[in-house]
Amino acid sequence: MIPTIEASPEEIYDIELEKTLLQANAKLAKENRAQLDRHDITAIDFMGAIGSGKTTLIGRMAAKLKDQFNLAMFNGDATTVDDVNLIAKQGVPTVQLATINGCHLDANLVGKALRKIDLNKVDLIFIENIGNLICPAEFPLGSRARVVVVSVTEGPYMVRKHPHMFLGADIVVINKIDLAEVMGVNVEDLARDVHTLKPDIKVMLTSCKTGAGVDKVAAALLAIKESRADA
Amino acid sequence: MHELSIVSGIVESVLNFVAAQQISKVVDVRLSVGELTNLQPEQLCFCYTALIEQTAIAGSKLEVEAVPAVVSCPHCSYQGPPKYWADALSLAPVPTLQCPQCGKATEATQGHECAIKTIKYVA
Ligand SMILES: Nc1nc2c(ncn2[C@@H]2O[C@H](COP(=O)(O)OP(=O)(O)OP(=O)(O)O)[C@@H](O)[C@H]2O)c(=O)[nH]1
Ligand SMILES: [Mg+2]
Ligand SMILES: [Zn+2]
Repeated sequence: MIPTIEASPEEIYDIELEKTLLQANAKLAKENRAQLDRHDITAIDFMGAIGSGKTTLIGRMAAKLKDQFNLAMFNGDATTVDDVNLIAKQGVPTVQLATINGCHLDANLVGKALRKIDLNKVDLIFIENIGNLICPAEFPLGSRARVVVVSVTEGPYMVRKHPHMFLGADIVVINKIDLAEVMGVNVEDLARDVHTLKPDIKVMLTSCKTGAGVDKVAAALLAIKESRADA
Repeated sequence: MHELSIVSGIVESVLNFVAAQQISKVVDVRLSVGELTNLQPEQLCFCYTALIEQTAIAGSKLEVEAVPAVVSCPHCSYQGPPKYWADALSLAPVPTLQCPQCGKATEATQGHECAIKTIKYVA
């Protein structure tokens, strides 16, 4: 059984008068992070447009890293549990998160999900945000790194059209490069657009279909996990 | 869009405030919104007007005050407004984290806020 957490409409976000939802969320994200740090857990948040390949990439990452770490997966997909099953089939404990409005996960839901798993038996948590290129950027969850997964099928101007998401990200994965030629998309141009917005962001090219570039992403996630161990 | 959930939280806290203080009429609520939040002022105001209908604060106004982004560069110690990206396909130039002086990565020190500043009311 995959546990499900429903955000109820009466949910109290502990908003004091001067506190808006964004401030309340930021505070909860900090608390999540402190809790994760105490248990030496690294959480990584995957954002990106609908269908860009978030679940497929997380599945690939799980296959590469599950022998080394105890993994868990939180999924914010609004409509289906199939996504979770793909990962759960690999033996990774998963928690399905259901939002009310379906446009982004928030730190409150992630905090509740943390209560559903045994924090002493997990090292690395993958969080799949809702497929949306705008809203999740505003809502930090307490993760150590944020990954944006975009795909060449979103066209050559997707970074220029949705610049906001990239400002808060640490890694950008440009996925479905197996389709770049058919789509007439130059991936170097996309990468340059991303660097225009944020020069120090890591950009990686992958095809989750052929497996190209997937090892590099796994290595980058590993480096994030290990930078924590050194800290 | 999440403007709606943000505004409903604001309306809720104003209504609580009004009830607790026994205020007769709220004139306006001033919200400061950072340039980097990507929140649209028109949408915030539209949601506000829609949500306060038939509540104790019906007729009040949401004033959105824009807080400009400020970045600081660890490489060349630049501090000030960000570099804007004119080629982005959006209506307004897009703030970036590229240093206007040396081109390396900066950090935003202002522009992420979203806070109720004042509530103007008749006691
Ligand atoms: N050709 C190709 N297809 C891919 C690649 N990565 C993922 N896909 C396919 O793209 C579709 C969507 O992939 P998902 O992993 O479900 O995408 P997602 O981002 O999780 O989608 P949502 O959760 O619905 O937002 C699936 O049919 C995948 O098989 C890739 O690199 N190349
Ligand atoms: Mg998915
Ligand atoms: Zn500089």
